[in-house]
Amino acid sequence: MPRLPPSLFWKARREISPLAASLLPACRDLQSTANELRWIKEHVQDTKSPIPAKIRVWRLVEKRAKGIPLQYVLGTQPFGDLEIKCRPGVLIPRPETETYTLHLATLLTQSHPPPPSLSILDLCTGTGCIPLLLLHSLQTTLPQTTPITIHGVDISPTAIALARKNHTHNPPPSPSPHHTLTFTQHDIFSPTLLSTLYPPNQNQKLPQIDLLTSNPPYISPHDFTHHTARAVRNHEPRLALVPSPTQLADGSNSRYACRPEDVFYAHLLEIAKAVRPRRVLMEVGGWEQAVRVVGMVFLGGEGGKDRGGGGGVGGYEVEVWRDEPAAAAASSGATGDGVERVEVAGREVVVRGVGRGRAVYLRLRED
Amino acid sequence: MLRPLTSLRSLFRPAGILCGRHGAPTSLELRNSFTTSVVANLKQLPPRPKHPPESEIEESYLKGSGPGGQKINKTNSAVQLKHIPTGLVIKSQATRSRTQNRKIARDLLALKLDELANGAQSRVAIVSDTKRKRAASKAKKSRRKYRKLAGAEGEVEGEEGEEGELEGGVGEGREQQHVEGSVGAEEGVTQRENGEGGKKEEGR
Repeated sequence: MPRLPPSLFWKARREISPLAASLLPACRDLQSTANELRWIKEHVQDTKSPIPAKIRVWRLVEKRAKGIPLQYVLGTQPFGDLEIKCRPGVLIPRPETETYTLHLATLLTQSHPPPPSLSILDLCTGTGCIPLLLLHSLQTTLPQTTPITIHGVDISPTAIALARKNHTHNPPPSPSPHHTLTFTQHDIFSPTLLSTLYPPNQNQKLPQIDLLTSNPPYISPHDFTHHTARAVRNHEPRLALVPSPTQLADGSNSRYACRPEDVFYAHLLEIAKAVRPRRVLMEVGGWEQAVRVVGMVFLGGEGGKDRGGGGGVGGYEVEVWRDEPAAAAASSGATGDGVERVEVAGREVVVRGVGRGRAVYLRLRED
Repeated sequence: MLRPLTSLRSLFRPAGILCGRHGAPTSLELRNSFTTSVVANLKQLPPRPKHPPESEIEESYLKGSGPGGQKINKTNSAVQLKHIPTGLVIKSQATRSRTQNRKIARDLLALKLDELANGAQSRVAIVSDTKRKRAASKAKKSRRKYRKLAGAEGEVEGEEGEEGELEGGVGEGREQQHVEGSVGAEEGVTQRENGEGGKKEEGR
């Protein structure tokens, strides 16, 4: 981390406030220092406490100056129209996640014909931000009578407790008996995952799942020590960031011949192969990882005849979404029809939006 | 801008009812009769302008350098809008919520466009005009009061002319100046933001 010049501290003192100078090492630049100090003051104004406001501001600034993420200091992070509670031990929702979740909700509501019912499964849910925002957006746009069933799963009991809190913290605008959202604590590598979530009925068939989403840990141990921000490394849970082989049921990751950071994708694709969801969305850590995950989808070969063969998942249209999937593709990468395409493993893949590679989106081909 | 005024109005209404019940005019009721003109002006304010169509807007989120996603956690909620036909650029980082900032930026852009199109008849101009008139009338009252006090001490001086001049000065000439400063005044927070955003853009 480059050293900040003393002049910048003086500038923060003079132009913003003496408190800003102590925030500067954590925020790194004047603009975000001014913003964060203002947000801290607003937070103190908006919440009641017997302690004088000045002291509370000072205490919060002191916490933030130690490098604790602002979301843990204030206890919340806005996510779409929701306010998600954040506690140490659970990953803070990122703005990129917010952007693609909102885009995903628009895709679901704009599909023709409108879905008669929706069943959504979110793995590695953390604060529960993705299912909560999906439910909120779908509730406000789809007819009230459309049944929506959402399951959120996480291995961490802290995360599940927080997700449930967030569910009660963000009540639906108009409660409906057709909408259910449940959070379950479960290891997604456990073989009993699906039978726990969807108890087998007489005909022993899994229900049709419309959407499988996941923001799994995807940082390699090397990237975690070298290319991850200090605030993230020191204060956010490693469990949510770095896939660790001990999380696997059999105690090793030898089951999947892939890089350590891609283990979760290999397993998610395995789950996708078993339940055949209509759409799958997996967040990835950048362009290279997106290409690797697309390669894993294609591994099995062409079309629908490869089901279960060789580890690939057949029958899906594959797209890569950038940070802002709704934006028009940058002119440099776009072909004649304005759609950007890249070739992965000898097949063309559509790339949406602008920014860095952020998610891999699969859509089941309708036969 | 509207909020303090509406709260004022609601403050005065129950007072008026109370006075009516007592029968005798009180100082409160008197004040109420003064405020009616302001309330009437309020009703005539043009509505908030509508957002321009999305096809005319180029939106970008200002992101820091680096990989994004789980690896960093920057509170980068800033939203920048560019109105393609006019080239206007609006930036908002008023709140921590990107969704909220997108709405604020669109509101600001709509106000700016309204100002460009309608000039002195735009909402911004009329709002600032109302504000200025009220401030002028307040200043006038205060001057009158202190002159009266001074007069009671026997130092009556011919200051009538000054007052008249000031009243006359409330006119066309100053319009432009006030419009400039008033876009941000619409929303307390965004005003600050606009200033900072503007500075940043100049720097680039």
